[in-house]
Amino acid sequence: MSLIHVKDLSKHFKILNRREGLGGAFRDLFSGDFRTVEAVAGISFDIDAGEIVGYIGPNGAGKSTTIKMMTGILKPSGGLIEINGLVPYENRIRQAQIMGVVFGQRTQLWWDLPVIESFKILKEIYKVDQKTFDEHMDMFNELVGLKELYSQQVRTLSLGQRMLCDITASFLHNPQIVFLDEPTIGLDISVKAKMRTIIKELNRTRNTTIILTTHDLGDVEALCNRIIIIDKGKILYDGDIKKVNALFGAYRTLKLQIDQFNETTLQTLNDKLTEKFGTDHGITISENEESWTDVTIDQARTPLSEVLNHLMTNFTVMDVRIVEISMENVVRKVYDGALT
Amino acid sequence: MRGYLAVMRGSFMVSVVYRFGFLFTILGNIIYLSVAFFLWKSIYRSSDTIRGLTFNETFIYVGLGSAIFILLKTYVDWILNFEIREGAIASYLIKPIDFGLYTLFASFGSLLMNLAAITIPTLIMLIFVFKVEFVLGPGLIIFPLSLFMAFLVSFYIDYFVGLLGFHSESVWGLSTVKEIIVTVFSGALIPLHFFPEALQKVLLWLPFQAIYHTPLMMITRPDQSWNIFLPMLFVQIFWVVILFIATRLFYNQAIKVLRISGG
Ligand SMILES: Nc1ncnc2c1ncn2[C@@H]1O[C@H](COP(=O)(O)OP(=O)(O)OP(=O)(O)O)[C@@H](O)[C@H]1O
Ligand SMILES: [Mg+2]
Repeated sequence: MSLIHVKDLSKHFKILNRREGLGGAFRDLFSGDFRTVEAVAGISFDIDAGEIVGYIGPNGAGKSTTIKMMTGILKPSGGLIEINGLVPYENRIRQAQIMGVVFGQRTQLWWDLPVIESFKILKEIYKVDQKTFDEHMDMFNELVGLKELYSQQVRTLSLGQRMLCDITASFLHNPQIVFLDEPTIGLDISVKAKMRTIIKELNRTRNTTIILTTHDLGDVEALCNRIIIIDKGKILYDGDIKKVNALFGAYRTLKLQIDQFNETTLQTLNDKLTEKFGTDHGITISENEESWTDVTIDQARTPLSEVLNHLMTNFTVMDVRIVEISMENVVRKVYDGALT
Repeated sequence: MRGYLAVMRGSFMVSVVYRFGFLFTILGNIIYLSVAFFLWKSIYRSSDTIRGLTFNETFIYVGLGSAIFILLKTYVDWILNFEIREGAIASYLIKPIDFGLYTLFASFGSLLMNLAAITIPTLIMLIFVFKVEFVLGPGLIIFPLSLFMAFLVSFYIDYFVGLLGFHSESVWGLSTVKEIIVTVFSGALIPLHFFPEALQKVLLWLPFQAIYHTPLMMITRPDQSWNIFLPMLFVQIFWVVILFIATRLFYNQAIKVLRISGG
């Protein structure tokens, strides 16, 4: 039997259509004008012990909502979740003992107290014995060097420091499953690297199951063996990372700033590229923010250097950037059938 | 249990962080005591007792009353409301602890701080500066227990209003109304003796008098007999049990509709 079993899970929110301004706010008091948001619209998956699963998708896809339901703090509208055969929502306290959770945007530490005090309180709440506690703290100290922060108030920590402390806290009671909702949000490269080290290490040594949401495809590539892609509350892809990796790796986006950009530029670009590389060139063009054009290239079909060369000779390009494919584009590709 | 005690300790430490605010509360309390002293002294110039209370008794009621008022204010409804809107409530719900008990023990932390920083200093001032006399009697013995029960009644009323926030986004209007009702009907604003007889009878059937009126009765007239005090204590315990059960049932229902903000 799998550790986490999710079947036809759904969650919808009824929300009031709010009107503008003060008068609107008053009329809202008596309004029955509701609309329903399907945050999660019937998803199913199974996760085994020891897996690291990347749960990814664009903003508003329903990732956080799913995690809230799996951790038992939000009641599903329909469907079933079982963890170790128990429904988290109905066994919240019992399930909490075997779970660790990090919500990247907020802390579970005591804002006004020194860091070490939060750890001590958590030690008592989760009934961790002194020996295990000491070992855990030593291990984390070795991995990320937190000791200097212990006496500092949580609210004075930098975002990255706080996040590392939160991660440490979520693993303190040696949980079977850890949910990480955007644990790398706003972190610099070196802290991100530390974060990945910890997660990998704990998964390896303790066989902790990890479910991770992120907008950084680097996290996914570095950590996960499996990914689940979700959009608009529905699962688009669930499977091996390798297939998707090829997708991430194959695509690059050229961001171009073209002189005298106008309505016809996109069309001209497309014509020029078709002229040179044929109709099956695997390149998509879209207008980004003001005067920046995104040219996404499937390197398996057309080499990036040739596209760049061709564009440079045909257009007055003022600035160029090369970026890895974004989450939104991955999702678009998946919709377009890139994985099937 | 260990966990809840740790929470209490943590909450106490948080109160200590904000101890600076207490200096002002204490200062304000000294001013209040002085004003009340001279005010009631002048009222009592014409007669020795008013509505059966001597100056000494009235001053205990009023003087200790303000300290107890601060002590019994838990602000749990405001805190919960804030945490629901911010989504911070998620970080308690992901822990293996009972939410009601967690909230209660967190309140104990600030209760302890209030005791140490306000109630006890006020008592000392009353005795040594204002020369108030406390008559030894059953009331004095039962007072601490009654005060604790009063705290629990106050807590559960606040907690109940706080849980309403699981349903609607903002309960500040309700909180304000509750605040007024509790302040007036508990005898915190004016001693219940000064209310019309008929209203007094009604108020005795409500939980609010258990918050404020009861412990203060015990400390102002401690020489009365157990026959008077014990039923009063039982009424308090009755309300604690009723409110405890009511909030439990309500929690089980409210948690189903709680939306966790943020993410
Ligand atoms: N409490 C709520 N009330 C109403 N709608 C909500 C609520 N919480 C979430 N939603 C809606 O549900 C959808 C999914 O939200 P969710 O937070 O799960 O997205 P997400 O995948 O975590 O996105 P992000 O990557 O931006 O964090 C969104 O459309 C959001 O507006
Ligand atoms: Mg989210």
